[in-house]
Amino acid sequence: MSDDARVSGSVLPGPAPWPVLLPAAAILTHEAMSARGAGASTWRLEREHGFALLAVFLLGCGIAQAQSGAGYPSIVETLWKWTPLLARGFVFNLAISVLAMAVGTIAGFFLGFAQISLLLPVKRGAWLTTHFFRNAPWLVLLFYCMFLLPFQVTILGVRIPIPDWTKATLGLALPVMANVSEIVRGAIQSIPTAQWESAASLAFNRRQTLWRIIVPQCVKRMLPPWMNLYAILTMATVLASIVGVSEMMTQTQRALSAESRPGLLLAFYSYVLIWFFAYCYPIARLTVRLESRYAVNQ
Amino acid sequence: MQVVWEWFRWLHQTTGINLTIFYDAFDRSRFASGLWMTVKLSVTCIVLSVVIGIAGAWVQRSRLRLARSVVHWYIQAFRNTPPLVQLYFFYFGLGSLLRTPGGSPWVTNVAWAIISLSFFAGAFNVEIFRSGIEAVPRTTVEAAEALGFSRLQTYLRIVFPLAFRISLPALNNNLVNLVKTTTLAYAIAVPEMLYVSSQVWSDELNVPEMMNVLLVAYFALVGVLVYGMHRWERALRVPGFGT
Amino acid sequence: MHIKWLGIVASVLTLGVVGASIARADVLDDVKKRGTLVVGTKADYRPFGYLDPSGKIIGFEPDLAADVAKRLGVKLELVPVVASNRIQFLQQGKIDLMIATMSDTPERRKTVDIVDPDYYASGTNVLAKKSEGLKSWDQLKGKKVCLIQGSFYNKELQEKYGVEGVAFPGTAEAYAALRNGNCVAFAYDDTAITGEMLKPEWSAYEMPLDSILPQPWGLAVKSGEKSFADFMSKTVTDWHKTGFIQQLEQKHAIKATKFAQDMMSKYK
Repeated sequence: MSDDARVSGSVLPGPAPWPVLLPAAAILTHEAMSARGAGASTWRLEREHGFALLAVFLLGCGIAQAQSGAGYPSIVETLWKWTPLLARGFVFNLAISVLAMAVGTIAGFFLGFAQISLLLPVKRGAWLTTHFFRNAPWLVLLFYCMFLLPFQVTILGVRIPIPDWTKATLGLALPVMANVSEIVRGAIQSIPTAQWESAASLAFNRRQTLWRIIVPQCVKRMLPPWMNLYAILTMATVLASIVGVSEMMTQTQRALSAESRPGLLLAFYSYVLIWFFAYCYPIARLTVRLESRYAVNQ
Repeated sequence: MQVVWEWFRWLHQTTGINLTIFYDAFDRSRFASGLWMTVKLSVTCIVLSVVIGIAGAWVQRSRLRLARSVVHWYIQAFRNTPPLVQLYFFYFGLGSLLRTPGGSPWVTNVAWAIISLSFFAGAFNVEIFRSGIEAVPRTTVEAAEALGFSRLQTYLRIVFPLAFRISLPALNNNLVNLVKTTTLAYAIAVPEMLYVSSQVWSDELNVPEMMNVLLVAYFALVGVLVYGMHRWERALRVPGFGT
Repeated sequence: MHIKWLGIVASVLTLGVVGASIARADVLDDVKKRGTLVVGTKADYRPFGYLDPSGKIIGFEPDLAADVAKRLGVKLELVPVVASNRIQFLQQGKIDLMIATMSDTPERRKTVDIVDPDYYASGTNVLAKKSEGLKSWDQLKGKKVCLIQGSFYNKELQEKYGVEGVAFPGTAEAYAALRNGNCVAFAYDDTAITGEMLKPEWSAYEMPLDSILPQPWGLAVKSGEKSFADFMSKTVTDWHKTGFIQQLEQKHAIKATKFAQDMMSKYK
């Protein structure tokens, strides 16, 4: 038995790819073990991360407490006082991320299909749009939408206000749309041509082939990069603070200038980091688990 | 050259499109320095983050559990927190601690931006290189062992060159994101392109023109990077691997 | 079927554009009809506009805004603005009135209607460590000075005085950078600096130089809103006459400015 097999404890003669097809059960066992080894974390590592962040946070509080003089309330009291405001800001971040993801995904789907269209102008136009929005920095797109979109539209005499956070959502939905378009195109192109040919031989037209045969197979493949994109988007929502949206980062800055005490920065920003970590880390874990479950044997 | 600048002044006077970064000498020098700073930031961060990625991927395969968990913690921390907050944390938080006895800071804001962004991109690079390394067949590694290569030699001469070529597309994607993320340095007053542009548009009140200039400039910068990486990918393509 | 759908979308959009151009009403009438006055103020510039823990904007300028709303007999809604978006918000109509520590300069008068007389004034000064020993503005040549992004004095300080500007998005960052030694001094409105220096943690800092670029602050309404501008002009004159400005200075622990005294004696 090779070293590898001894370590993994299986009876398989080494890692994939094997020269012959083996029973499914053995393959699944091996996959699970390699997934465990490849980076799906164990319970111990998870707790370590939490402890590390907590340590940084407490250190920050300690430093802030030391730097500030007597006669000031403690750091923890200050943080607790401002927590409701920060929490409202965080809800904004989540709302922006969910909406931007929804709008971007729907638009990205259509753009992805346009990229594989048989009509050359549509294909070129979609390719250009995708690459334009992928190449532009998210912050610049955000600035663009904030400054150049009107603050309200009047349709049929009804004034529809477009609040700041909606503009930020649209601004963030644009790069999401471009990235989803690339994910969709990549997933569709990774389906073997044999599928298309079989569908053609069974008299499916192009639209039917796409919707009934190709896309259902693609959904599994698209899920991990899509969830990864959502994590990136959630963290990008703090960019909205630079353009003035009242999300968590802005509220933190305002709280800091209202308090205007020295040394509070580290404590407050560690606090913000912890909130985001607490939200994004479970998503990352779920993504890894989905990746290993839906990994395609190539 | 003056003719070109004067044409932009004429453009402003006739159509109202105000591109002071061309016809006003002060704004012109400001914007040029901003563009140069963005290029410098991007190149430095790209190089550093790739180095961090290589080192991290190596440490991830170490036999010491402590080393492995440190790298794992580093990756999770930098991947699951917003880079803007990381930047603030480094510059304002750690910056307030790292001071000389005279009271001035050790590390400038440009340096902190480079450190923060390199670590941010480095965390993603470690994962990218890891999946590249895993794609190298075990038989190749065993053959190297059989020929008497040490672990480090195998990594540097056999495994990593192959892994690098395999992970080049994903690395390309990450480096493009890094160039775009350099705009965040605006928040800690690093005079890169977005910072300079915001100064220009608050002085000259020409927001739409500057926005368009920014979009075009970043499109061009990233386009150059993507083109270069694409050429490199094609040159390094390993027959029989990948698409 | 697709053409029909496209036709509907096109007609809705056209009506929308037409509708937008028809709706050109007077801002003052709008405000009275709506029953709410929307005012843009700062939310991160203590003591002129900052947050209390419940999220409400309080300070010198919100108090002024409340007085305007009282005179109009409508409710008040405050919208937080920053230097980089206050003019845009006013132009877009997102806010009806802007009282946001904006200096009255000729360039800005081209874009919005700044109401005469000005309601307040300040100069530009610096907050620096006593150990720096700053005596004149020339000493700042080539040195790093913290600024706020979008301030009107940034260009002059960098061009004329040769200062190396380090501009931050907000005051919290700028004060933190000053404390960390990332810059030698922080250039800001002298009224804000005097207010900040009252705090014990700034005991090692001073405001040593003479204020330059004395600028009156103007509150602004959208370009062309003549009736609203006239109303505001009468209001500001009344504020000076009754000494309302000085009362607010006392309330918010701002050092009494000569400008407010002069204006009161002028309009008595």
